[in-house]
Amino acid sequence: MIQTLAFYLFAVLVTASATMVILSRNPVHSVLWLILSFFNAAGLMVLVGAEFIALLLVIVYVGAVAVLFLFVVMMLDIDFSELRAGFMKNFPIGVAIAVVLLTELVLGIGAYRAGALQLGAPTGDAVPIPGRGNIDSLGAVLYTDYLFLFEAAGIILLVAMVGAIVLTHREQKATRGHQNIGKQVRRNPDEATVMKQPEVGAGVEL
Amino acid sequence: MDYTASLYATGAEIGLSIAGLILLLVSAWTGTRYARLVTILAAAALFGAMIFSGHLMAESTAELTGDAFGGLFRADAFAGFAKILIYAATIACLVVTPKFFDARRQYRSEYPVLMLFGAVGMGMMVSAVDLLTLYIGLELSSLASYVLASFARDDMRSSEAGLKYFILGALASGILLYGMSLVYGFAGSTNYLAIRIAFADGFGTGAMFGVVFVLAGLAFKVSAVPFHMWTPDVYEGAPTPVTAFFASAPKVAAVVVLARMALDPFAGQIASWQQIVIFAALASIVVGALGAIGQNSLKRVLAYSSINNVGFILIGLAAASAAGASAMLVYLAIYVPMTIGSFAALLMLRDEDGNALETFDDIAGLVTRRPAIAWSLLLLMFSLAGIPPLFGFWGKFVVFQAAVEADMIALAAIGIAASVIGAFYYLKFVKVMFFDDRTERGIATSPAGHWAVLILAAVIVSPLGYLLTQPLGAWADRAATSLFIPV
Amino acid sequence: MTDFFQNTLGMSYEFAWFTATIAGILLIALPLMLAVAMIIYVDRKVWAAIALRRGPNVVGPFGLLQSFADGLKVFLQETIIPSAANKGLFLIAPIVTFTVALLAWAVIPFGPEAVLADINIGLLYVLAISSLGVYGVVVSGWASNSKYPFFSAMRAAAQMISYEVSIGFILICVILYAGSSNLNTIIVAQIGHGFGLVNAFAFNLLLFPMWVMFLISSLAETARAPFDLTEAESELVAGYQTEYSSMSFALFWLGEYANVLLMAALNAILFFGGWLPPLNIDLIPWFDIPGFIWLFAKIFFFFFVFSWVKATVPRFRYDQLMRLGWKVFLPLSLAFVVLTSGWLMLTRYG
Repeated sequence: MIQTLAFYLFAVLVTASATMVILSRNPVHSVLWLILSFFNAAGLMVLVGAEFIALLLVIVYVGAVAVLFLFVVMMLDIDFSELRAGFMKNFPIGVAIAVVLLTELVLGIGAYRAGALQLGAPTGDAVPIPGRGNIDSLGAVLYTDYLFLFEAAGIILLVAMVGAIVLTHREQKATRGHQNIGKQVRRNPDEATVMKQPEVGAGVEL
Repeated sequence: MDYTASLYATGAEIGLSIAGLILLLVSAWTGTRYARLVTILAAAALFGAMIFSGHLMAESTAELTGDAFGGLFRADAFAGFAKILIYAATIACLVVTPKFFDARRQYRSEYPVLMLFGAVGMGMMVSAVDLLTLYIGLELSSLASYVLASFARDDMRSSEAGLKYFILGALASGILLYGMSLVYGFAGSTNYLAIRIAFADGFGTGAMFGVVFVLAGLAFKVSAVPFHMWTPDVYEGAPTPVTAFFASAPKVAAVVVLARMALDPFAGQIASWQQIVIFAALASIVVGALGAIGQNSLKRVLAYSSINNVGFILIGLAAASAAGASAMLVYLAIYVPMTIGSFAALLMLRDEDGNALETFDDIAGLVTRRPAIAWSLLLLMFSLAGIPPLFGFWGKFVVFQAAVEADMIALAAIGIAASVIGAFYYLKFVKVMFFDDRTERGIATSPAGHWAVLILAAVIVSPLGYLLTQPLGAWADRAATSLFIPV
Repeated sequence: MTDFFQNTLGMSYEFAWFTATIAGILLIALPLMLAVAMIIYVDRKVWAAIALRRGPNVVGPFGLLQSFADGLKVFLQETIIPSAANKGLFLIAPIVTFTVALLAWAVIPFGPEAVLADINIGLLYVLAISSLGVYGVVVSGWASNSKYPFFSAMRAAAQMISYEVSIGFILICVILYAGSSNLNTIIVAQIGHGFGLVNAFAFNLLLFPMWVMFLISSLAETARAPFDLTEAESELVAGYQTEYSSMSFALFWLGEYANVLLMAALNAILFFGGWLPPLNIDLIPWFDIPGFIWLFAKIFFFFFVFSWVKATVPRFRYDQLMRLGWKVFLPLSLAFVVLTSGWLMLTRYG
């Protein structure tokens, strides 16, 4: 009972907040609705027993990606009237695409329900082991069967990082605010300060 | 699981990745100072990988030594042939690169590192016998390519090329992934062999959608019509050595992936995909031939030339036979030196200020100013056009022969007719270089590396190349047969 | 507790579960609020002692009721909403901060059985929830439509994301050692971990540096001094709280301290044995003392460290903060993940 209730609660909230993402006029509000929608999607994941994926969704998307997204959107100076100017022009195309997608969805689900589509049976031997959490099962597959791809995916991320740095990083001369903390710590009073006792009126030679 | 055999089979990729990581560390610590050294080491690593792939290919007498990592990766002769081509093309592109960027002081040691990782990705692609391996390899090579396309980041056109390539490439990856997910859903596995067994009785409607999406995504990567529209823009905007790379190595990888995809998991249903490939082949040949006619930019002309060539390669695939696959590999082996040679010649055409000569007007009367480049270009262009004494003819010949053997006489006839149209703009090169009045722009002397690549390419495409037909044909046959294993 | 409601009071299972959960939430949240009120008083007393002042000493005996007086004061104040502010978000932001600060306490074990939600992925849950904390700050900064809060929001977003990265790696080291991310299992794994004597992960050559980093990162994560750049009064007036008043201000205040307590609790649980007594010897009947007392003592100790640091360490500059996060903690914690897993492979699974 509670599960059903929770499912409908999350499902309705996901859909509603996803709708609000595209309907709200303020992009910051859109991002915040998006975050709410991620959050509820994570709730749905918990309901189907994929708690690890759910938390990853929260940690990665809500906790990091969306924050940076919000960060960027908040700093954008967006002219809303200008954004809405092209709305009527693109409206028919948008509606056309939406209609096509809707038809596809209806046809696809209809065909599936009618038994016209035969899905393949999974060939893997990935039987869930009772009493074993998501993380264990996932790790057991990821680090054995898919080790090669896992490492390759790591290299993809590395390439992405190298690419981002290559395309944006510019060598800069050390300017104001540059500080070598190691050097500061290594300095000691003997070599940094001098004790002087100048005669009256004689001044100090630096 | 015993990893020894798996690690051995993936030796080239692992070696290249380790080399890439080490060189990345070197470049992170030394900045641009040792960029040239990093380039040389990267080329050496690629050469090593090439030798290793050749060794694997020569050794794989059993044809199928068992797929590495439980059916993710197969180091067969087909993949070996492709890898040798890919690594060789990458080395050639590395050789011509530093001097190009030196003129603008933009060379950085990340460039060879990205090339290395790109080569790793391509190696994974051609060896992939699982949709996941294919996708990850494809993304690895694409991601490196996107960055390379906009490597000259102060140049507007380069940035534009990178962005365009990135957006369209991401779209194509999405389409491919969508198709893969459908195929997976209907086959129940991502493994090629399992897909082939699942589809032995024919594709359902849903699976057919998936197959079409997969083929469309791959067609984008080989820049076959109707997914070719990015090619001229990206080729023109990207720095010329990068363009040479795009036109050679990734194209080989994508064609080989397409061939393996069509002839392994979808082999049971040849009739279903054959029409698609035939259409793409013919459309590419025609569009490549006609599109180039009005162009004035040399790089755009070569871009259309590459679209045109992909069409001929796809004819070999359309034949769907071992002879066709072998012809395709032979064509690729000839296409790579032709295209790299042409781009090397373009790289050498620059005035004293280092600005590239990019249009037909700039190369008018080239023969009186730089006869050696002009004559090499003549050889390359005649070869691209497929004029008989040159080696390019042989590639076209084997492809058409395979098509005729597979009873596709109409396809071969249209292809031959279109190649005559295509000859027009190759001849235009020759006409402009040899018979037009010379322009007064001076041409700077060219570095030795460029000369080496150009002369090597010119020698290969010259009638001397026919000495290679015997071993090339034997290796290609062997590679092609390894693709056709009975279930 | 479900059993209690089901068997003693004869409720149906679902209803008993529901009541038990609500009761559990109240049992955690209400004492937590009380603790926050008292801990603010302690905080002020500690600063005062370090600055050789007296601190709050007027309201109630020894000034103990000071926080309640302050609370009453803000309750009675008028809620001022700036006219240019984004009203809805402006009011939601403090609620988000406060709620999120309470959420993470759901998985904190107060004893072997005393956990509201004894889930397998407890530590990941804590990480997920603590990564949400940034929204209250960012949203309030943006919704205030005022420049100082906005700067503060920008700083907070970058700062918290930066430190979460290394916190994640530190937690991975702990998970590797404990072999689970369930907080109770982590605590049990610490029995006699240090030389067979001390119930703490911190007495381990590989985990001790991790604990030091975690302590510093938890200061940064809660934006406490010396990393309180989000409310650096010399530059940003009061940071994201500048435009707030009355109850909404109080909610920020409560949320912030609840977070500080949470971080102190995490230090205690992950590295100092949580509800276990400090030593693994039963000479004195230490194990008979209820676990939550040990936990509270440890939380209190870490809170003292937090306010000690706040009273003595000068504030970091923003670039120094970023440098510490990205150039020191990140590589170090990454290196220790490799070291720890290598060591465990060698000794435990090898």
